[in-house]
Amino acid sequence: MRQDFFIVGGGVVGMAIAYGLARAGQGVTVLDANDTAFRASRGNAGLTWVQGKGVGMPSYAEMSLDSVQAWPSFALELQQRTGLELEYERRGGVDLCLDEEEAHARRTEYRELQAQSERLRRDFHWEYLDREQLLPFLPGLGKRVAGGTWSPHDGHCNPLYLLRALHAACRRLGVDIRQATPVENLARTESGFRATLREGHVEAERCIVAAGLGAKRLAPQLGLSGDVFPLRGQMLITERMPRVEQLPTPQIRQTATGGYLIGDTHERVGHDKGVTLPMLQTLADKAVRIFPFLRSTRLVRAWAALRVMTPDGYPLYERSMTHPGAYNVNCHSGITLAAFHADGLAQAILNDRIHTHFSQFSGARFHVPSTP
Amino acid sequence: MSENSTSSQVAEVAIIGAGPSGLAAATRLAKAGLKPVVFDLNAAPGGQVYRQVESPQADLRVTGIDYRLGQRVVEAFRRARVDYRPDSRVWWVQRVDAGFELGVLHEGRSAVWRARRLILCHGAMERPFPFPGWQLPGVMTAGAAQVLLKQGGLLPEDAPILVGSGPLIYLLGWQYLQAGRPPTCILDLTPRHQWRLPLRQPVKAWHARGYLFKGLKMMLALKRAGVAIERDIDALEAIGDKVLEQIRYRQRGHWKQRPASLLLSHVGVVPETHLTRSLGLTHRWHAEQQSFLPVRDDTLSADENLWVVGDGAAIGGAVNAMREGTLSALEVIASHHGLTKEERDERDGLRRERARDLCARQLLDAMFLPPLNIDAMPEETIICRCEALTRGDLDQAISDGAEGPNQLKAFTRCGMGPCQGRQCSLNATLLLSRRLAQTPDQIGQWQIRPPVQTITLGELATSSMVENRAT
Amino acid sequence: MFRRLPETASDSAEVTLWVDGEPRQVGATLSVAAALLQQHGWAEYRLHHDGTPRAPLCMMGVCHDCLITIDGEPNRQGCLVIVKDGMRIETQMPAAQPTPGASTG
Repeated sequence: MRQDFFIVGGGVVGMAIAYGLARAGQGVTVLDANDTAFRASRGNAGLTWVQGKGVGMPSYAEMSLDSVQAWPSFALELQQRTGLELEYERRGGVDLCLDEEEAHARRTEYRELQAQSERLRRDFHWEYLDREQLLPFLPGLGKRVAGGTWSPHDGHCNPLYLLRALHAACRRLGVDIRQATPVENLARTESGFRATLREGHVEAERCIVAAGLGAKRLAPQLGLSGDVFPLRGQMLITERMPRVEQLPTPQIRQTATGGYLIGDTHERVGHDKGVTLPMLQTLADKAVRIFPFLRSTRLVRAWAALRVMTPDGYPLYERSMTHPGAYNVNCHSGITLAAFHADGLAQAILNDRIHTHFSQFSGARFHVPSTP
Repeated sequence: MSENSTSSQVAEVAIIGAGPSGLAAATRLAKAGLKPVVFDLNAAPGGQVYRQVESPQADLRVTGIDYRLGQRVVEAFRRARVDYRPDSRVWWVQRVDAGFELGVLHEGRSAVWRARRLILCHGAMERPFPFPGWQLPGVMTAGAAQVLLKQGGLLPEDAPILVGSGPLIYLLGWQYLQAGRPPTCILDLTPRHQWRLPLRQPVKAWHARGYLFKGLKMMLALKRAGVAIERDIDALEAIGDKVLEQIRYRQRGHWKQRPASLLLSHVGVVPETHLTRSLGLTHRWHAEQQSFLPVRDDTLSADENLWVVGDGAAIGGAVNAMREGTLSALEVIASHHGLTKEERDERDGLRRERARDLCARQLLDAMFLPPLNIDAMPEETIICRCEALTRGDLDQAISDGAEGPNQLKAFTRCGMGPCQGRQCSLNATLLLSRRLAQTPDQIGQWQIRPPVQTITLGELATSSMVENRAT
Repeated sequence: MFRRLPETASDSAEVTLWVDGEPRQVGATLSVAAALLQQHGWAEYRLHHDGTPRAPLCMMGVCHDCLITIDGEPNRQGCLVIVKDGMRIETQMPAAQPTPGASTG
């Protein structure tokens, strides 16, 4: 039996779309890479976050806002379908500013963003709080932190359990998930698409490339840009600590199991997924600056993951002009946008409407003809 | 960050570990005029097997004659011109160009070392042996009991029960007997047919005669002393509320129960692959040793300027470890300034002895294949002790789609606790191997993340500034 | 509990260890975990984060079940730290202690 869709990629992006399509009754096959693939889905901070999104592209901020608003019901539904707890919380979040300069720049940025969109002026809530004002939200906050921007929209989850829940839910919905099945190449057939595998192939009426950094190679085979590059982020996680009701921050957050997750680095170093001593030290230094009580806390793991970045940092939702029925989806905030991907985006793909509904997010924005 | 922006310290040859292989390698290098830097986690040289050998806490009558050999080895090491750094945790190892970058934590301060050549002598660990209740206080490993004996002459107050397979069970039982505190019984999990292997493999048995006779002697002594040795056991449980109170085991189809305050278990040792895996070395499944071993060439080198020797590379025992340590030193000398005729002869002689010994080892491996496979354990058996995850938890994740070790870790947190997966990695791979009907090599093991040893955020943040290679 | 061999090769020096506030004389060669197994036993050694009691398993730095509070520093590997005179040990502490109230320097 031929499937309606095959999706290349079993990370949170591919699985959220697979989930949305399967929920709508579509027959879906997911082709997932090997256990050792890059997998930003397994290396990220787990934030469901609006702050900082879409500076320069208000529609992205609006989309993030929509997605975080859809997250509570998305999480609940996944939990009900699978019995798995996502450790999802939305109590608000703080993006810290270590010094006054950063604080000033942040406020200016947010005001400019809101100036560009009526919707964001109305619906994006945030406030700058200095250290004293932050203390009730971030008990233990160090003295060498200037303040931070607080927003009620922000939250966090366990991204690994989100990935598991999407896999489990898709299995229950009958999605054919093939792991350790890397795709060699993609091509159109007379009535659909074919993915050639190391052994054999898979066909479907339509196909979605949700292959993260793999899009660079695979998407162009179907007339899609897949214009992405890796941006490395290094992270630390500590041993379990007693739970404190601190709000999450992109710099550091306490996970549901008690470990502190420390990160927020950006390095353009190609496909190098290694961690480096100077960066580990920088992160540890920042962590004890933010929360001095962590000084005697032990580091359990350090790792790096590669963000899937488009040239402007905003998502890439493409419909092939040359190969109708082929789509490419890339973004670096697959956790925040998971609720949207499972719903709005999956619907738009199902109805073949992403080029009209989300035209701003097509690859065409990178190939603007130069004006004479 | 600290104000003193020191650059890294440099070692021509660095050795990690001061057990038999590390001591031998360091001593031999010193003899050739190369002054190696030796980093060891412990406070005194000797490793696990020769722990506390410089100031013994138990009579040699108890610890056994082999311990005396350790005294000589440590004495030679102490006399050698070596930069010995005890109490030093190598928490970071990374290849840099043709050499290595090491992060070494000592007395709360981390320093960066650059080593041109590196010999890993980090040793083995006891094979994690999960059974229901093994997390209860009162269940320890036989190796732990030996540490207590060597380090402080400590014996169990009440006679313990020993369980498992392999020589260490009998050695410990014999040592306790010599100290006047024999175990109440030994539950030997070795299947009967494996005991008969020496009869079927006479050549290997000849090479292994020393080990076999020693084992037999200990077994007879224990029997004469009235220690019950129970066999044909295929299931085991530790039971208790807050501490161990009872053990249950199934012998020839019947469940039996015994009161117990201390259960000492042991099913052999495996290389501790944390360091070698974190360096990204290739590891292969070794069916006889039922473990992953780093791949080495004939010169015991696993990569450019990198040697892995002793029980951290493949289980061969202390004497073999010392041989390998010396062999790696000779290889370093060869790559540094070449070997003399005598040194070549020394190397060839050691290689021959090693080959003979490894032939004997094959028989011991076959006799003491680890019993009681993990997938046969009841589903409530804890596999990941740190995260308290059971076999059933892992099976559930596998059925949710965790079809590889990294995905299994991500889906469950298996291996994410403070031991960093040392206690569960092997069993997680074996479970996946059974469930997915793939070989352990096909499954592989999850990626190792630094730090390879514990370090606090404060120690990391205030450690001497590392050079920023980006600048 | 573990007990010292009646006749040992040498009478080794002893140090004073404060275990939950009580002074204990222990052999100077022992690790903290070994000293506790002798003086305190494996019962009520430590509480795991799931609320179950735990005690050292391996004594050689692998299992991390010997984690213990030493001189106020929580979760130290007791089997790797050799006792020192005057050292303070706290048993039964739930995993990792310091909370934000402790310091905000």
